[in-house]
Amino acid sequence: MVKTDTKIEEEIRAIFSSDTPWVTIVWDDPVNLMTYVTYVLMELFGFPKAKAQELMMKVHTEGKAVVSTGSREEMEHDVARLHEYGLWATLQRGDQGL
Amino acid sequence: MTSEGFKRHGSNSYITEFAQNEREILINLAEQIIELLAERIDHGQEDPLAAMVGITSHDSPPDDEVLHRLLPNAYQDQADSAEFRRYTESTLRNKKQAHAMAMRMYLKSAEDGVIDLDHDGANAWLGAVNDIRLALGVRLNVQERTQDELELLAPDDPLRGVYIVYGWLGWLQEGLIEALMDEK
Repeated sequence: MVKTDTKIEEEIRAIFSSDTPWVTIVWDDPVNLMTYVTYVLMELFGFPKAKAQELMMKVHTEGKAVVSTGSREEMEHDVARLHEYGLWATLQRGDQGL
Repeated sequence: MTSEGFKRHGSNSYITEFAQNEREILINLAEQIIELLAERIDHGQEDPLAAMVGITSHDSPPDDEVLHRLLPNAYQDQADSAEFRRYTESTLRNKKQAHAMAMRMYLKSAEDGVIDLDHDGANAWLGAVNDIRLALGVRLNVQERTQDELELLAPDDPLRGVYIVYGWLGWLQEGLIEALMDEK
């Protein structure tokens, strides 16, 4: 019971706290070319080539990578833009664990 | 297949020339994507006012595997995903259709086969070609099959032709990206 109460308290705090960041995750996909993923990350997020390549390699080798962090609304916007260009992306609360 | 791929000319021009058969294949593929995305619009069932502001009655992912890959879930959580889909899917569908329509328009108006893209045109083209590759990838089951298995498809296997087009589109896409990256 004590555990549950703590959990509810945490939930409530998370709901009302604006500092819980959300994250956008790009998942590995066997179709999308490595150069294409790099290019889309540069175009959509304005990343320099080196950073975009680093994130792309993380997606490729680890299966996924966080590409942006912010409010839920901002992350929904990012996911929608990534979907427009065919990248496989989802968003979730940053403290959910990957 | 005779196109040599996109090459950069000046600061904002990416040019290639397609043979007639290449042009026809690309127009056909772009039209298939446009039609496929249109299937997802449920005529008659939609609340016209809601539809006007981009809200659809769709909140479940498409049954068709290809459509599901083109219009994927935004959340791993099903309920959140359904809610997001209801408010955003029609916009996503429209944007993807616009990319494929831009690609078709470039091809249709290039009777000599010469395609000349500016930066925005190139981005629309890349998005459209990528959607076509995603669709063909589902049909080829690239998720399960290895590169070697695909290379070894028998000449009389109907998927053989699909795989050749899939590979060619990847090559075309790669060339255009390299041309675009030149300036970065």
